[in-house]
Amino acid sequence: MTTQPNQADMLQLYRTMLVIRRTEEQLAKSHQAGLIPGACHTYVGEEAVATGVCANLNQDDVVFSTHRGHGHALAKGVSPRELIAELFGRATGVSRGRGGSMHLFSPEVGLLGTTGIVGPNILQAAGAGYTFKLLKTGRVSVGFFGDGAVSNGAFHEGVNLATVWDLPVIFVCENNMYATEVPFSKATRNPQVANRGPAYGINACAVDGNDVLAVYAAAQEAVARARSGGGPTLIECRTYRTRSHAEGMRDVGYRTRDEVDDWKTRDPIQALKDHLLASDLAAAGDLQAIEAQVQALVDEAAEFAKSSPWPDPDTATRYIYSEPGGQPHA
Amino acid sequence: MAVEIVMPRFGWTMEEGLLAEWTKQDGDSVRVGDVLFTVESDKALNEVESFENGILRIPPNSPPVGSTVRVGALLAYVVQPGERAPFEDQPASTLPPATLAASELATPTAEVAGGALPAAPDAPARPRHAVSPRARRVAAELNVDFTRVRGSGRTGRVIERDVRAASQLRPAPSEVRASPLARRAAAELGVDLEQLSAVRPGQRLERADVEAAARQAARPPAAAGVVAPATKQVVPVSSVRRLTAERMLAGAHNTAPVTLTTEVDATELVRLRTQLKSDSQAAAQPIPSYTDLMAKLVAQVLLEHPALNARLEGDDLLLSSAVHIGLAVDTERGLLVPVVRDVQAKGLRQIAREAAALIDSARAGRLSADEMRGSTFTITNLGMYEIDAFTPIINLPECAILGLGRIVPKQVVVDAAADPRATPEAGRVAIRQMMFLSLTFDHRLVDGAPAARALQRIKQFVEQPFLWLVN
Amino acid sequence: MREITFVDATREVLAEAMARDPSIFVVGEGIGARGGNFMTTAGLFDRFGPERLRDTPISERGFVGLCTGAAMAGARPIVDFMFVDFILDAMGELINQMAKVQYMSSGRLKMPLVLRGAIGIGSSSATHHSGSYYPTFVNVPGFRVVVPATPHDAKGLFATALQSDDPVLFLEHKSLLYNKGPVPEESYSIPFGQARIAREGQAITVVALTSMVKKTLDAAEQLAQEGVSVEVIDPRTLAPLDINTILESLHKTGRLLIVDEWFGPCGIGAEIGMQVMDLAFDDLDAPVRRLNCLHTPTPYSPTLEAAVVPNTQTITQAIRDLLAE
Repeated sequence: MTTQPNQADMLQLYRTMLVIRRTEEQLAKSHQAGLIPGACHTYVGEEAVATGVCANLNQDDVVFSTHRGHGHALAKGVSPRELIAELFGRATGVSRGRGGSMHLFSPEVGLLGTTGIVGPNILQAAGAGYTFKLLKTGRVSVGFFGDGAVSNGAFHEGVNLATVWDLPVIFVCENNMYATEVPFSKATRNPQVANRGPAYGINACAVDGNDVLAVYAAAQEAVARARSGGGPTLIECRTYRTRSHAEGMRDVGYRTRDEVDDWKTRDPIQALKDHLLASDLAAAGDLQAIEAQVQALVDEAAEFAKSSPWPDPDTATRYIYSEPGGQPHA
Repeated sequence: MAVEIVMPRFGWTMEEGLLAEWTKQDGDSVRVGDVLFTVESDKALNEVESFENGILRIPPNSPPVGSTVRVGALLAYVVQPGERAPFEDQPASTLPPATLAASELATPTAEVAGGALPAAPDAPARPRHAVSPRARRVAAELNVDFTRVRGSGRTGRVIERDVRAASQLRPAPSEVRASPLARRAAAELGVDLEQLSAVRPGQRLERADVEAAARQAARPPAAAGVVAPATKQVVPVSSVRRLTAERMLAGAHNTAPVTLTTEVDATELVRLRTQLKSDSQAAAQPIPSYTDLMAKLVAQVLLEHPALNARLEGDDLLLSSAVHIGLAVDTERGLLVPVVRDVQAKGLRQIAREAAALIDSARAGRLSADEMRGSTFTITNLGMYEIDAFTPIINLPECAILGLGRIVPKQVVVDAAADPRATPEAGRVAIRQMMFLSLTFDHRLVDGAPAARALQRIKQFVEQPFLWLVN
Repeated sequence: MREITFVDATREVLAEAMARDPSIFVVGEGIGARGGNFMTTAGLFDRFGPERLRDTPISERGFVGLCTGAAMAGARPIVDFMFVDFILDAMGELINQMAKVQYMSSGRLKMPLVLRGAIGIGSSSATHHSGSYYPTFVNVPGFRVVVPATPHDAKGLFATALQSDDPVLFLEHKSLLYNKGPVPEESYSIPFGQARIAREGQAITVVALTSMVKKTLDAAEQLAQEGVSVEVIDPRTLAPLDINTILESLHKTGRLLIVDEWFGPCGIGAEIGMQVMDLAFDDLDAPVRRLNCLHTPTPYSPTLEAAVVPNTQTITQAIRDLLAE
């Protein structure tokens, strides 16, 4: 049984999605301006998934994310300052400049990493679940991945192990229909995710990934199940990214302009805004205030990042091995 | 531009000088002020300094050491690193018949500081023998010139133990005078340059010498008509043996040797030695041996009979006012002849000390080439083997050699000559310590009578030692 | 002193550590009730239960990746992989994830994880059960690589591994597992990066790894009868590598041979040789040499298997050859 988010929660959902959107837009701009030396895979259009899931998590629950992980990072509690500075390669970045977009780490808020390799984070999410169960901490672990990971052995092995060992894990598949430019339907004869659940014996469901409240509800149930020892859940969120696979990559050849435009009409942020206004859960002015706040936050974050120092080259060989006096792990 | 080094003029009347010794060798790096060679003129030894910095190159046909050279005659060149010496461009026909091809003369002298290897354009690449890094380090620590060490590593590499062994062999590494080609040939053919040099004192070894030594080693030992024993044993001919063989052959065949023998009454000599033995004041000193005693009194005789103290150099007989006596020493490696210098000027104790040290060195294989050079007369003693008289072979380029036999008590007639009116039968018989002396001289240079007179004088000095004490 | 086997020694340490630290758990195939293919966990299942001795499906990538996440989240997992050949399926998890987490997180995440299991050629195990592969793990920054050769060292090094916050590959040559040796009863740990001089000598330094240590000592004993004095060094850990002990020995002897059962190309001997070239060139009286197995997949038939691996005779000959240089 799930409980609906209250008004405050909904405004928070709105705010979070907006933070993600504005930060991603800022990063896209910055990338074009040459401020990001490496890759930048934006989450624009998928905000509801990260937001809806992470709204159900405590700070000490953990999240394992993908190469397209800015949304998860921000939703889990990484600040826009730290995110942007990291992509700018500055010492103030969330990974101190060592990781860039695909290696974001913030154990302090439960972000145990984004990854440049598809698949391993599924296994690691299961692993964290193992630890939480072993040590009886009551914490849960979430692994985000895309449709592209579903055909990878890591999905198979990770889901299997988590299920057979009843681990407190939520596997969230962001099915945006494309793995780079390979349509899901070309990667497998079964281009669905939730219907694979029974093969593993895992609880599975599919939701509209652009409906933050639907995602919220599914995640709430899955988190409750995990925390109570009911084992893992597989949630398929059907969504879409409206920008190219990575900033600077051409977005042509594998999908049509029409398809993109069509999905833009199902913008999750707009959808929530419409819902809030229509249900009288918020006034337009409240929402505008939030919008302005978020814009200011992101603008300031960009300025902060631009003026942040670069990492000291002498630190390049630190932290290969455990150093005495370092912080304990999460 | 190669700078010519010539025989300089010392004193305005000097017309020629004797090239006494090269103090720098072919290929050595020299600096302004370094002494290159010494010249003996008017009995004075003059040092000749370099006016250039560079590398000394001595042509193979440079006047040999010990020869007398006209003032102005070319002796050597000083070249710059990387520069070829003029003689390296000569066609083969002008070279001595030591079969050196023109290209072979362009020896890279990489030991010289700072220079690139001056390889001849058509010369095949010559591999240097490798030296392990460790050997280099140890060589630096022990002050050993590893370029002169033969390597026992698998590839001919000089390794640590070679360097350590070399550092224990002899004090100064530069006695062996050999051309760079000779050194290289020695390393390639496995010839021990030190040993070769030891039996050719004073000679600068050429490649031909080394090759000859190697050929000798390669030949089976000469049977010389001896019936082979039932069990055959092949004993390789050592280089000392080879060179002794060459020298003896030359001494026997290139001279006109005549041996005079006389039996002397050595009783007084024996008494003298006994007195020396019981001299409590000189307790720690070596007791002069009979050879030492003979050396001393022979030196006195030679001052009176300088013809027997002469050396043949080319066409010249060089008489010397100094008597340098070579003492034949039997060692495990073979016959070696260390030299006590200036015997005429030294006391008996000093002669005994020096001789004892030289004989020790000889037996330990530590004699330097210097210590075997320059003798003007040689003494060889076979008395300890109960030999009476024998025919010693002249030690070229000397002109005489004295062989000592055993001292043995015999019945002899004494006092017979004391009274000119007495008949021989009037003399009494006494037991005296008798010794045979065998003097071989080179009749090309000395006639029989002068030689006999000298031997007679030696006899007198033996029988009446006071005579050589008063002279 | 009592003598126990190599595997008994590590199990003793494991039991004590698991009793002390509830965050330690073991995953692997057959390591639960069965006690492990090599008896590495014999008796522990009854003491600690199925959550701490977790039998896995044949899912190496899966459980290695899982343990990586578990370590990041606060546990101290042990992957008992049985044969090192099996974890090659998990190379991505090992190299891209496990080795790099500490670095990527600037030390805010540790990786207290031990992967232990059998390596090495023998018993006609053939090419899927005979690997060692340690040069790869030495080459990648982030791993500790431990190769004990004796029960005494196995106990002390395993204790250190279980206290380390770095990912440790604890590689146990299968021919050594049931060897008995003196092992103290009390707890002790041997630090990583500390070689053992297994035999002192003067004429030549021989560095030998795992199964080659005993064979090299046998060769040294044989040569000692002939008056040849061989110094044998067991590095015990390859990352970190105690190069200083090797350099000190080389300074004394001037000659170095590395005997390693695994492949020569890009191997441990190559690494030691280059370090020696760099740091002790002037101590070398001869080239550094290596003796390795032949560069082939491991064959099955005993005559072929014996032919590819160094033995006491070939080691002795290699020492003689290097002394003759």
